[in-house]
Formats: sequence, structure tokens, C-alpha cells
Amino acid sequence: MIRDLFKALWKDKFARVALVILGVIYLALFLADFIAPYTKDFSDRTMAYVPPSKVFTIDENGKFSKPYTYNYIREFDQNTLEIKYNTDRTKKHYIKFFSKGLPYKFLGLIPMNRHLFTTDTDGRIFLLGTDINGRDVFSRLLFGGRISMTIGFLALFVLFPIGLLYGGISGYLGGKTDMIMMRFAEGVMSIPSFYLLIILASILPSGMTSSQRFMLIVLILALIGWAGFARVVRGMVLSIKTEDYVQAAQAIGASKLRIIIKHILPQTTSFVIVAMTLSVPSYILSESGLSFLGLGIQQPDASWGNMLKEAQEFTNILYRPWLLTPGFLIFVSVLAFNLIGDTIRDVLDPKSKIK
Amino acid sequence: MTGRVFRVLLVLVLIALLAKACIVRDVPQKITNNTKTHQTNLALIYPMQKNVNINGIDYLQSQAPVGTFGGTLVSSTIGEGPKTFNPFNCKDNTSAILSGVMYDGLFTTNPVTGEVAPKLAKGYTISPDGKVYTIYLRHGIKWSDGKPITADDVVFTWQNIIFGGLGDTSTRDSLVINGKLPTVRKYGDDVVVFVTPEPYAPFLRMLSTSIAPKHVFYKAVQKGSAYFDSFLSTNAKPKDFVVSGAFKLKEYVPAQRVVFERNPNYYEINTKNEKLPYLDKLVYLIVGDLNNEVLKFEAKELDVISLQGSKVARYKSLEPHSDFKLYNLGPDTGTMYISMNLNKRKNEKGKYYVEPVKQKWFNDLNFRRAVDYAIDRKNMVLNIANGIGVPLFTPESLNSIYLNKKLKPYDKDINNAKILLKKSGFKLDEKGRLFDKEGNRVEFNLYTNAGNTEREAIGVMVKQDLEDLGMKVNFKPIEFNSLVNKLVSTFDWDMVIMGLTGSPLEPNGGKNVWLSDGRLHMFNMRTPQEGKVGILPWEKELDMMFEKGALATKFEDRKIYYDKYQDIVYNQKPMIYIYSPIRIVAIRDKFKNIYPSSLGGITHNIEEIYIGHDKIHN
Amino acid sequence: MDTIKYIIKRILQTIPLLIIVSMISFFIIRLSPVDPLAELKLNPSVSPETVEKERARLGLDKPIIIQYGKWAFSFVTGDLGVTSTGEKVSQKLGERIPNTLLLTTIVILLTWLVGVPLGIIAAVRWKTNLDRILTVLTSIGMAIPSFFFAVLLLMFAVKTGWFPIGGLTSPNFADMSFGGKFWDITHHLILPVIVLFTISLAGLQRQMRANMLDVLDSDYVKFARAKGLSENVVIYKHALRNAVNPMITLLGFEFAGLLSGAALTEYVFQYPGLGRLILEAVLKSDINLVMASLMMGAIMLVAGNLIADILLIITDPRIRSKS
Repeated sequence: MIRDLFKALWKDKFARVALVILGVIYLALFLADFIAPYTKDFSDRTMAYVPPSKVFTIDENGKFSKPYTYNYIREFDQNTLEIKYNTDRTKKHYIKFFSKGLPYKFLGLIPMNRHLFTTDTDGRIFLLGTDINGRDVFSRLLFGGRISMTIGFLALFVLFPIGLLYGGISGYLGGKTDMIMMRFAEGVMSIPSFYLLIILASILPSGMTSSQRFMLIVLILALIGWAGFARVVRGMVLSIKTEDYVQAAQAIGASKLRIIIKHILPQTTSFVIVAMTLSVPSYILSESGLSFLGLGIQQPDASWGNMLKEAQEFTNILYRPWLLTPGFLIFVSVLAFNLIGDTIRDVLDPKSKIK
Repeated sequence: MTGRVFRVLLVLVLIALLAKACIVRDVPQKITNNTKTHQTNLALIYPMQKNVNINGIDYLQSQAPVGTFGGTLVSSTIGEGPKTFNPFNCKDNTSAILSGVMYDGLFTTNPVTGEVAPKLAKGYTISPDGKVYTIYLRHGIKWSDGKPITADDVVFTWQNIIFGGLGDTSTRDSLVINGKLPTVRKYGDDVVVFVTPEPYAPFLRMLSTSIAPKHVFYKAVQKGSAYFDSFLSTNAKPKDFVVSGAFKLKEYVPAQRVVFERNPNYYEINTKNEKLPYLDKLVYLIVGDLNNEVLKFEAKELDVISLQGSKVARYKSLEPHSDFKLYNLGPDTGTMYISMNLNKRKNEKGKYYVEPVKQKWFNDLNFRRAVDYAIDRKNMVLNIANGIGVPLFTPESLNSIYLNKKLKPYDKDINNAKILLKKSGFKLDEKGRLFDKEGNRVEFNLYTNAGNTEREAIGVMVKQDLEDLGMKVNFKPIEFNSLVNKLVSTFDWDMVIMGLTGSPLEPNGGKNVWLSDGRLHMFNMRTPQEGKVGILPWEKELDMMFEKGALATKFEDRKIYYDKYQDIVYNQKPMIYIYSPIRIVAIRDKFKNIYPSSLGGITHNIEEIYIGHDKIHN
Repeated sequence: MDTIKYIIKRILQTIPLLIIVSMISFFIIRLSPVDPLAELKLNPSVSPETVEKERARLGLDKPIIIQYGKWAFSFVTGDLGVTSTGEKVSQKLGERIPNTLLLTTIVILLTWLVGVPLGIIAAVRWKTNLDRILTVLTSIGMAIPSFFFAVLLLMFAVKTGWFPIGGLTSPNFADMSFGGKFWDITHHLILPVIVLFTISLAGLQRQMRANMLDVLDSDYVKFARAKGLSENVVIYKHALRNAVNPMITLLGFEFAGLLSGAALTEYVFQYPGLGRLILEAVLKSDINLVMASLMMGAIMLVAGNLIADILLIITDPRIRSKS
């Protein structure tokens, strides 16, 4: 079934482009340590807010050359009160491919020090400029993307079992239990989700490590989404439980939990897949909104949302447009997810009402 | 068929674009020498107002050039807007500023010299023993509703409201000297006498507290403290306000703006004896953050704005062909610092607030000084404040009249820091990690409040600076209220980056921070139950300096004590100061009579500001 | 008679729901490690006595169950308490709720006016290029992070000077004529409406398209076609009515979505609405204010659903008989 789905997706123009884009993004994030010339925390404080490095392939004499770049020199002009970045033309820094650079642990395990591209130790290559602390925006985009692009999936992995089980039990048992369980779920749904989100985020205990914080934000996102999901599952269970094979299982005396898990829930697989692709983008957006408000992922960690915080500032938008790149990436990946979701919906059931 | 051709073409174009992107020619830029000189707006010398008597009425007379009447000035306040318009209930800065517009005090501060200058009172004398303050009020001046402003109002304000403990009690709290309050009594309609139990120098400045109209406040005071707390709150009607200041409330639109209109009975006149203020309206827009404020200035919705960091450069370059002017007001009164927790005590449950291992590091002067030497203030100013700031080394802000100028600034010196650490037995291992004498890895948490871009950026830099020394720093920006809770109630923190706003005129305002039992003595906080335990020798010295400084009355005497206190902090490093931003203010140049000053800001003489219709730059 | 009975039953059902909402919200907030008095404590000029007084006033010294009971009792009696700075919560909410309602109502009307026709067009031209393009266009709108879009629009407003920078009214609003006031508010609303409209259009358009496809596939439409009625009559007379009916249930959810979406937009545009209020209250852990605004949000949401349900009964008598 999943293979058919892929085939159908590949046939559709828009979905194909979207799949390729997401594929490239996720591959880049997977290889982030290798592709990024710098680590997440590397910073050169004499290079705060430098514009993207210019890479030259034809030298000043008009001849082809290996690609090289110049460093920037920062100067503070007492007169105009302005910080200026001039290129330091005294030394060319050639770009080296697959050579040794800052050491890192690939996927957190294998120690390595080769990077896709770097330059000599006293040179700096900032493809997308730097931020306020002189950190490479390009590298941070890759590391931040790891958080932004996986947080949605992780939240789904947390909320699906909860929602499935909750909806399954509620629908199967019916009666008073169903009523109480559904009222509770409706209660959760009746709080505007973003309000609930910021309240939960604001009560996160202080002094957590960044990975703890990350996990808790995943949990919070899951807490917001499970109720709606559970309600739909319950609706499906209500109709499935009248099917013959469920009745048969009941007749041979299988336990209730077993029936729910073994016989009823598997019938909802296709719905689960659709719901998953359709809700990933909304989690990506939620995380970015939360981090934008300063309630999500925090410095010095990177996520696309908290990197965008700097883009809030007026002068940054005007003079440092490279700081807007995270917004662009969020846009592209959410759009890609949406296009895929649309196609899946049409493929599975052209008239599907799943939102 | 056409589809295929189209696709091939598309691919070709893409390849061409890619090739274009890869082939970049290196053309040396011509160095354009920017010789354009920028004119700096030199601050004019502010002609201080004078007292004059016309037809038996004691006016205050503006000495600034005579202007034209009419027009509006739109300013802004950042945050959620005022909580109250009752000047005696203000717990936040915005409310205090806005109610201060309406209610004048007896005195104010000379924006240039910092001396006490007349406002509702025309003068004062202090007895030789420093205890008796005789205040001479203006005769014949009126509230906005036409009733006279008399000694009754002053006595009522001080006796019934302030000493009565109504509203915000901070003024009262800081006036309790040896358990006693000053007394206040009137002599006739125009003279009021205060007697303090002991000579108490900061008292004179406290007389700039707003004065309330007795005939309006009397009933509210009668109804007691609960009623008073909601009296003249933000839902009071504009017509309920009877004011003495230059402006009176006209309209308050929650979360959007506060509009003031001119008070026709204001007691200041110009040299043509016309009643000020010149402006018809004064508007404060309530803006949520700095960013929105700049956008509004850019869109000409605002007339005046203070600028930070990179915005300064933008407006500086726009200035020559724009409708505004920039003024440099010098270093800000705010100070930003790193502090370490020196607490060696246990909480009620018998647990140390700070782990004993860390206690040893933080209480080691060499350690603190090493941290200080490792801090790269210069680059912090350049990166974070965009060069618009000055490195800071003293607890008094750089525009304070009590600044100890003998304490010299210095640069980052990592070698010196390493030597200091070595002296105390700290060792580096082969991986460059720092261990103490007993072999413990030096690792601690660094907190600041999340959401403040400036402090977060400083935190990132401090972390790196300290990691250069081999320390492991866990930088944790946390929510502001949680942080405060750690600092003032649970004491479970190691190192913190915080800021405080001091008064450039009165160091005694910082006694909460520096006295060993002060409520903001964060670096070695004691609970009220603990009392004065475990006081370090230099803390004792600080206590003494503040005690003596408050009781001395002459500026020169006080300066000695406050110089010493700065000296102690400079040497003992309980707080390591980072930098002080420079305040740059932009104001539309149609506004005249602008006399910016470091102490007063740009609109301290709001009643004298007028809109000039000429386009000539002065 | 049945209708009224049903409506009453429906209204009664919301009460336990609201109780659950209030309990969930209250316990979440009180779990917070944040000290609501922290700001007061840091203020050098506030005495410890004042802080204690404040603690007692907010009831923070009592166990949580009692706190909830106290809160619930006063909420039911209409007293929403005071904020941490001593202002009346009811007054603050009263200032903000109409603004939020204004914004969301306009956006809902607009999305319906545009989304429903676009949905019909997409369904009628099912699987044509027009259908695909419409879907992609609405997807694009849905993919822009709302706050980012809002920031960019503000930049646009600054650069062109065509729109005011946030807020709801101009400084001289009080002195304007009625027409001037109307125009002033409209002028201020344009940008936030654009943002919310863009992000909420996609959902509605898709839903309408799906419903329409559903109906077009049904037997009676097939029958109508077989009868030889013109395609226009079939679509606009028979199919449309049946496709729009289920959309009404969506109203409530759309409203909920907008309340959430509006929070960030209000924040960026400095719009004096409920979303911005709750954000500020949460950051300061102002319990009474957060609770009250959460409850107001929930009540507005529940009321939205209720109205949708009632509308549905009126337009579609079949449901009445079913229940």
C-alpha cells in the first residue's frame, strides 16, 4: 500500500518536486556535521553580522582560478557610528573540499574532521553570513533544521499511541466511559491550542539541559494534538467494532485490550499515515512560533524559529537579509509537506474529508 | 512536443544560472574615501528657569527662546502601558513617568548640574545640623481646576498619604531612620517645615515626590488603603484628574496610547509672560517592543525615540537629509553585570544553597578576578551594542555625579587570568580543562533571562570567554520571573548576567544591593531569619560606607564614602560590570527648545518645547 | 418545540465542558515554577511587607484545591479578580475581547466569501490544471509562518507608508468624525486581516472542494443530470446547498483556529486583542488574568460551536429528527 502511495506521489508533478526538495533537505540535515564548515557553536567574535563571503572563481587578472574568498575586517567608524566590513584583500583563502577542519562526531558517534568544504585556518567561509555572535548562519541552519524538522515527527510518535489507545478504548467500551473520556478530550480541545501551547511552554522548569528542553517541547506539542486525533479514531472504532471479525474475536473471548490493539486499531493505519503527513507542517509552524516568542528552543541551541527571532529586528531585515533564510526554509519545507499531503489525500480518497 | 522543448529550455537556463553563480570575477573595489563630514549636534547650554513674581503670584519663568503655541508631540512607552495614573501607587516605570507628567513635586533635578531645582516650591533652606528643611512654596499658583496650591496640600500629601503608608510605600520605607519618620508641619500657607530624626542627605531629593491636591485625594484617603489602591486607576475618567503638572490626561486607550492636553493653569510662563506649555497635546503611544517603536518612528507616527545598536548607524546616515536630528546623551544609567553566588550557608532543610565545591571557587578572589580579566568587554560593545557603548568597571553608572574616576578601565587579559587561577592552585589538564586544587572539574551554570536578545548574546560570549580558561559553563537563559525567584528566594544559582538601573544622582538608592542585609544583595543574600550572619570583611566595610554616606550632608563628604564603596566593589568583584550602552535620541527637528542632557534626557523641559515652522537648521 | 429543547440541551452540555476546561487550565498554571510576585520582589523600592500583603491578596498562601475553589466561586459570581498589578481583570478583558471578535469576524466573513467560491470552482474543475493551481496557491498561503509574514508586511507598510504600523486607531482618533473613525479602523485592520486570511483560506477552500465533490458524486445529482437539467442548475441549485450545510459545523473550529492564529499576529502588529493580552499575562504568570482569558477563549470557542450547531438545525431539519 505504501509503495502504491509512493508511485502515485511520484506521478504527480507537484508532489514529485516536493518529495525531491524534502529529500534534499533531510539528506542535508542528516549529513549536517559534514556539510557544515563549522560546528553549531563555533563563533568568531570579530566577525559578528558579517555579510556572506564572496567566492571568486576568476581572479583579478581575469584568469580562472580555484575558488577562493577573502576575509572581512571589521571597523568601527567613530564618525558615522557605523560598523563597516571591508574585504581584506591581502590574502586569498582558497576553498578546500573534503579536507580537515573542526573535529566533530558524525551523528554523535563517529569522530571525524573532514568537511565538505572549508578554507585555511585563518580564513573564514560564511556562505550565509553570520549572526550577532559571529556564528555561521549556514552551519546553524543545518543544525537548527535538525531540531525544527524532526520535532514534528517526534511529537507525532508521542501523540499517536496516546490518541489511538484513548480513542480506541473510548470507542470500544462506549457508554459512560466513552462519555467521560470524550468530554475530557473535548475539554482539552476547547482551549484555543496556541494559548495552551504558550502556557505549557511557559511553565517548563528552568535550568534544564537543552535536550531535556527539546523533549519537553515535543511532549507539549503532543499534548496539544492528541485530543482531536483521539476523537477521530473513536469515530472510526465505533463503525469498525460492528464488523464481523471483531464480533468473532469477542465470541472466542479475547480480552478487550487485545481486541482493541490487535483487531481494531490496525484497521486505522491508512488514516494514521494521512493524518501524519497532514499534521507535520502544523507542528513545524508551532515550534517556530514558540521559539520566535522565546518559549521554545533557546540559545545557544539553534532552531529555525529562534534564528528567525533576529529577523524581527527592523535593521536586520533591511541590512542583513541573510538572517531571513530560516523563514524561507520553514516556508519551503512546510509547503512541500502540504503538497505531498494534498496528493496523498487525493490518492487515498479523492473526496476525503480529513483535514 | 512543446512541453518537451520547454523543459529542455528550462534545464538549460538553470544550468546557465548555476554557472553564472559559480563564476564570479574578483574585481578590486575602488576605495571611495568618504570625506563627508557629519555635523554633530552640539548640545546648547540650557538656560535654567527663574522664579519671578508678577502681581503677587510666584511664577516659574522659562528663560528659553519664546516659541509659538499649538501642536502635538508623540512619544512612546514600551510595554503594556500604565497600570495606574495615581502617582502614589506606581510600582512600574511607565505609570511613574505618565503620572509624573501630571503631578509635579516640590523640586526637580537640574538636568545639567544634577542639583536640586525648584518646581512647586521656589526654594528651601537646611538648618546647620542638617535636620530641619524649610520649604518656601509659590504664592498664588493653582491646580488645573483653579483651586490654589497651598501648604495644606503638601502637608496632606506627606503626612496622610506617604507617611500614612498608602499606595506604594517605598518612599516611606526608605525614610524610616532608626525606626522614626520625619515630621512635617506648615507655617502659614506658603511655608512647610520637615524635620528628620537624624541628618539624612538623600531626603532633599525625595522632596521631588509628587504633591496631591488635598480636595481631590482627601475622600480617597478617608476610605482607606484598599480604596486608595484603585483610586485614579486607569479606568478613572479624565475629568477626575486635578493636576499641577504641565499636562493633564485627555484620553487613555488601553494597549494603544495615552493622550495628555495642556494644563491651562500651569505655573510656568515664558519671558513674554504667556502661560506654558506651548504644546496642545502630548501623546504617549504604548508599543510592545523596541522593534515596533522603530517601525513607528520610521513611519513618522512617532516624533521622538531612543536608539540602540545598529539603528544608530542607520539614522546617522539618514540624518543629513531627513526631518530629524540625533542627540548623544552619553552613557545610560543602566548597568549590566555578571555576578557569582558567594553564599556559604544552608537552607532550612540543611542543604547548601551552593555546592561546597563551587563555594570555594566563587569565594576565591583570584577566581573572581580571573573571570573578570577573561571578559572581552571590547568585543561585546562592538558586537552586541554595535559599538554604541562603553566598557564599564564601576557599580555607579558613567554619568553618575558620584562616579569614582580613579578606577581605571583595562582590557581582556587572558594570561593574567591564567596566572591568577594558578596562584589559587587551579590546574589545566592536557585537554585544556580546568580543575581545582582538589581535582574537581570547574563547571557551573550561567543564567540570564530568556527573551532578552542582548543578554543572551552576552551570555554566549561570556561562556566562550570562560571556556578559554578551561571552565565548563552551562549557559541557561531562563524565564525572567523564575530567575528572580532564584536570585531572591531560593538562592540556587552559580553565576548570573543581570542588569540594574541606578540613579546617577543618589548612590543611596543602591543600598538594597550593597547593604549586607539588603533585599537585592544577590551575590550573598541573607534571609530575614538569618539576619546578619557570615558577613565578609569587605561587606562590613560596604555597610559602613553606605551608612555614613547617607548621614553625611555635604556632597564632598559623601563623595569620599561613595568613592570608597566603588573602590571596594572594583577590587573585590562581587559584581563584574560589563558595559553601559550609550543613549542616542532622535527627535523631529520641527521641535524647538531642545536641550538634551545626560541626566534629564531630551524632553525634560517638555513645557518649553514648541513646534517651529521654519526649516532652518540651527 | 423540539428545536428549542435541543438547543437547551446543547447549552446545558457546555457547562461540564467549561468546568473541565477551567480545572485543566488552573492546575497547569499552578504547576508553574514561576513566581507571580517575582517582579515585585526585584523592585528595590518595594518593601517585604508589601510583597506579603500581595501574596495574601492573591491567595497564594493556601493549598491549591482551596485556591481553585475560591477562584471558581468568584468566577461564577462574575468576579474575575484583579491582575498582579491590581487592575480589574474584567475591565482588561472587556477592553480586548471586542477587538479580537472584530478581527476574527471580519476574517471569517472574508474567508467564506472567497474560500467557498474557490472550493466550488476547484470541485467543478476537478483534476484540471485550475484545480491544481488553486490548491498550490492556497498551500503557499498556509505555509508562510504567520509571524514572519506579519513582520514582512510591517516592513512593507514602513517602506510604502500606505498602512499604519500596527495598533487599531490613530492618536487623533477621538477627534474624528464617524466616517473618519470608520476609515481609520479599517485602515488599521487591513494588514492583520491579510495575514489571518492568507493562513486560514486554504483549509476552508479544501473543505468546500471535498464537500462539493462528495455531493456531485451523489445519486440525486446524478439523477438531476439524467433528467437533463443544465449543468449550472445542477451545480448551483442542487449541489451547492447540500455542500454548504456541513460547512457550518466548521465555523466553530475555524473560529478556534483563528483565536490561536491571531495571537502571534496580534503580537507582531501590536493589536490590542485577547491574544496579545494572554501572551503578556503568561510571561508574567499573572494567574487571574491568564485564567480569565483562557476561559474567555474557551467560552468563545464553545459558543462558536454552539452557534454553528444551532444554525445547522435551522438550515437542515434532518439533524433535529436524528438527535
